[in-house]
Amino acid sequence: MAMIETQNLSKTYGSGSTAVTALRAVNLRLEPGAFVAVMGPSGCGKSTLLQLLGGLDRPTTGDVRIEGQALTTLNDDDLTTLRRRRIGFIFQTYNLIPVLSALENAALPLALDGVRPSEAQSRAASWLERVGLGDRQQHRPSQLSGGQQQRVAVARALVTNPALVLADEPTGNLDSRAADAIVQLLRQVADTWGRSVLMVTHDPRMAAYADRIIFLKDGTIVEETHLASPLTAAVPEISDLMEAR
Amino acid sequence: MSVRNALLGLLAQRARHGYELHSAFEAVAGGHELWDLKPAQIYSTLGRLEDGGLIIPERIAQDGGPEKRIYAITPAGQHEFVQWLQTPMESQHQRDEFFLKLMLSIATSIVDPANVIAIQRASLYRELHLLTRRRSAADPASALAAILWIERSAMHIEADLRWLAMIEARLDEIQRQPLPTAAPRPRGRPPQRS
Repeated sequence: MAMIETQNLSKTYGSGSTAVTALRAVNLRLEPGAFVAVMGPSGCGKSTLLQLLGGLDRPTTGDVRIEGQALTTLNDDDLTTLRRRRIGFIFQTYNLIPVLSALENAALPLALDGVRPSEAQSRAASWLERVGLGDRQQHRPSQLSGGQQQRVAVARALVTNPALVLADEPTGNLDSRAADAIVQLLRQVADTWGRSVLMVTHDPRMAAYADRIIFLKDGTIVEETHLASPLTAAVPEISDLMEAR
Repeated sequence: MSVRNALLGLLAQRARHGYELHSAFEAVAGGHELWDLKPAQIYSTLGRLEDGGLIIPERIAQDGGPEKRIYAITPAGQHEFVQWLQTPMESQHQRDEFFLKLMLSIATSIVDPANVIAIQRASLYRELHLLTRRRSAADPASALAAILWIERSAMHIEADLRWLAMIEARLDEIQRQPLPTAAPRPRGRPPQRS
């Protein structure tokens, strides 16, 4: 069973002659451990797709299913709970809380979910360790580099053991070295920790880390490119690559 | 020229014999898959470098096996190597078959150029994905040249992808442009140059 699924997902803003269709009839499946990149020109519907997948907005027609649960059947409270427990968000601008330490930021989704502080902090500490920030737990965001802040955001996104991680231009504010490190971390989120990852990006270099690229245009999927087919799943020798050139 | 100067550089590092030069060349060129240099070319190049006074046979080593001539660089060789390092290389703008495909899809309208672009883009992304995996799997301690070469190939593909995106975004406009036609050429013999 697909972990994340959309069925004819559509979104129209406004009505009548001023209506704007941001997304039309998008069908998408993400298996556990899938890493999918979404690309497309601005205004193609990428942000709308993220909002609907993340349960931050409701579709005009169609539905999103997270582990079999149709989001349209949930009331606002249940949707908020599902979003907090099953979906992790990573943003271009990190969106950390400036007055909280790295540890408190990473523990925030658990605190909001009513988890005991000692338990929340120990789970957050273990995720900070896994993203390579074990020695930065007490630092405030302003004391961390951009790449480190984004690692805190990755830890925060994973701390609730979500099924789906949504990343909106996660490397957009980073230099190339930090950007590579973050997207490698997202690769690990899919490969090692088995989450489904959906990343919006403009950068071909970042998109190439994914298993699949979805190209959106005018609110529809115009192309879906599988990068890691069973044939190419094995790491090739350099000689193969040179012959392919 | 490049092999000749690379051998000079490896001898500027330290004196070596031909077999050693072969493995040292592979290490800096990124592996024999990338640049399969034949031993015969090494020995013929060493001969020319010696004739030109750029290297000299320093001594002959014989540790049980056959004799090995160990070469050292001369001051003239050192000078030539430094000159080579400090001379820029022109970038290579090669003919490109995909470029022809794109132009002919625009000219003939038999296949939608957007489709031609999409097929090429998917293929480039698959290549880039393979390079990305290969780069992630390589050990920087033992495969520095290979990693830097992969990075170079990857960035060229990234540039191709950006170029395709630019064309795609302007495709409507491009298709309204007049088709490329040959400029009229004068017939007969070209005028004599004085």
